[in-house]
Amino acid sequence: MRLLGAELVESREILPGQWIQAFHAPHLASGSRAGQFVHVRTGDLSGLVLRRPFSLNTADPASGTVTIHFRTIGRGTEWLTRLRPGDLLDVLGPLGRPFEVDPRSRHLLIVAGGLGMAGVRMLADEAIRDGRQVTLLFGAASAREVYPSNLLPDEVEYVVATDDGSMGHGGYVTELVPEYEAWADQAFACGPAPMLGALARLAATRRNRLGVAKLGRKRGAGRVNPPGSPLARRKAFLQVSMEQNMGCAVGACLGCVVMGASGTPQRVCREGPVFAAEELDWEAGW
Amino acid sequence: MRAKKRVVTTPPTRAPGPRRTPTVRRIHPAIASASGARPRPAARAGRPAPASPEAVGTGPLDLSVDLRRGRVLENPILVASGTFGYGVEYGEVVDVQRLGAICCKGTTLRPRIGNVTPRVTETPGGMLNSIGLQNPGVDAVIERYASVWARWRVPVIVNVAGESVDDYVEVVRRLDGIPGIAGIELNISCPNVGRGGLQFAIDADAAASVTAAVRRATDLPLLVKLSPNVADVRPIARAIADAGADALTAVNTLSGIAIAPTRARPLLGNVYGGVSGPAIKPIALRVVYEVAQVVDVPIVAIGGVTELADVLDFLAAGAIAVQVGTAIFADPTLPVRLVDELTDECRTRGLDSYQPLIGTALPRRTGPPSARGVEYRP
Repeated sequence: MRLLGAELVESREILPGQWIQAFHAPHLASGSRAGQFVHVRTGDLSGLVLRRPFSLNTADPASGTVTIHFRTIGRGTEWLTRLRPGDLLDVLGPLGRPFEVDPRSRHLLIVAGGLGMAGVRMLADEAIRDGRQVTLLFGAASAREVYPSNLLPDEVEYVVATDDGSMGHGGYVTELVPEYEAWADQAFACGPAPMLGALARLAATRRNRLGVAKLGRKRGAGRVNPPGSPLARRKAFLQVSMEQNMGCAVGACLGCVVMGASGTPQRVCREGPVFAAEELDWEAGW
Repeated sequence: MRAKKRVVTTPPTRAPGPRRTPTVRRIHPAIASASGARPRPAARAGRPAPASPEAVGTGPLDLSVDLRRGRVLENPILVASGTFGYGVEYGEVVDVQRLGAICCKGTTLRPRIGNVTPRVTETPGGMLNSIGLQNPGVDAVIERYASVWARWRVPVIVNVAGESVDDYVEVVRRLDGIPGIAGIELNISCPNVGRGGLQFAIDADAAASVTAAVRRATDLPLLVKLSPNVADVRPIARAIADAGADALTAVNTLSGIAIAPTRARPLLGNVYGGVSGPAIKPIALRVVYEVAQVVDVPIVAIGGVTELADVLDFLAAGAIAVQVGTAIFADPTLPVRLVDELTDECRTRGLDSYQPLIGTALPRRTGPPSARGVEYRP
């Protein structure tokens, strides 16, 4: 975690109201992993007192650039869109804990709902780089909001669902999951809370149907990793990247919690944003 | 916008040198003059400007704050409870040892899971929070953090909350005598919990009884945090001071709500939250200004500090120290920078202490406490 100045390199509107911005920040580009995020200070506009958290969308160590992907939903994000190349951004990061991919996983299923793409986009890059096969299921309200396939690596199998049926499967993206679930060694998801809840329930039934997953029994049998540890997460079938209103982003203010399965609130900024699905209480309504 | 270039990384702990044992027991000006008029600060009393530029920035500068009970803070810039966790969270980006003190997250007898989410949201010029005193309980706080704090140079003041007088007393009794705990800040004004908290801060008798009970339980410096959610804070402040508080913290957050974007319900899971940030600075200033005129214990001001000018305003209104809260979320390095800027300010003015900056805006006190200000109150 560092406070650093990141220079805007490129800014473009990839979809109506959705932007991808690239910043020169070598420390982030080489020191971040998929799933981590940055906390960005907006300009000194009167009234804006909090930073804004953004998932790291991509990171390119070679050029020292990282990108963030966001929707303009308020004054902070609108201010960001008015930045020009060369402008400096005050960034705190990298923050939070990354996705943990089991080294033996060959087939990764990634599920993204809407802007949830920003949370899992970098994982696709990492997985392709490591020689894994990636299927990315993407859900959006309509064709106008479908993430452009040319922004994804060619190796990714990209499957789209739209709520209104204007592109790809008509319906929720979660309806596509059963088709791929058996193929996948691990699954990763980011998106609206109902989508993640549905996936978590699917993952739980999968565990019951298949018993202990294909993974996990062969080596280290009997060893129990504490819940929430990187090793325990690595063994989880489903990992989700959570979202919550955030204050400090370093674990001090306890604003951004989600309810853990143990009954203790978990900080999205510190224990998360990535959690194994079984670490969370999906029925708590938090 | 400004780019932060300065990155401070601090070693997690200092070498366990000797704990600072204050030998100086300076008396707060307000105490010294309890029998007579408040001493006029030199700044307005026509203290001569430094004779020559060379005089600026020479000699030792005294920023120390006497919290009484043998506790002297190195400087008057504190970080506010709830915004700095337990002091360890920001360690990677802030040199926390340079702070005057750290007020830790509100601590209760038993663990609390806090309120349902959403718990925070931005509001014009500030934010609303409704954490609901999530904390692991006093025993876990002691076990996890006291030994860390004991190795630190910066004193840690534990913010204590409870539902009953007995709760407060029991928490404080467990904290008393633990190395690493430098003081107690009584949170009798948390607006975000159903029972306890605020009920003590809105009634002078209740506030006095909890203060007195805790006073009997500990010899640690005892700060009591006032609520702005009252019609007139002065009788409550007086009652708390008379009950044995060493200092008053003013103010806690103001009760408020936000509406969800759908307009179908309030935004926060708990409906009510506490407003903090620059938006509440004028209110905090008013409370400090009023309380400073009716009590003789020191006042630690809090409410919307984002720059040196805010610190100077609160000092002028009668505070001896200032807590930085919400602004830390935007700029974690702000509190440490304020220490430097306050130092520079004193040097520029040719002062060898920041004490002359205190209370300069208060009305001259010639007789009994002023009742001015009542007439324009709602």
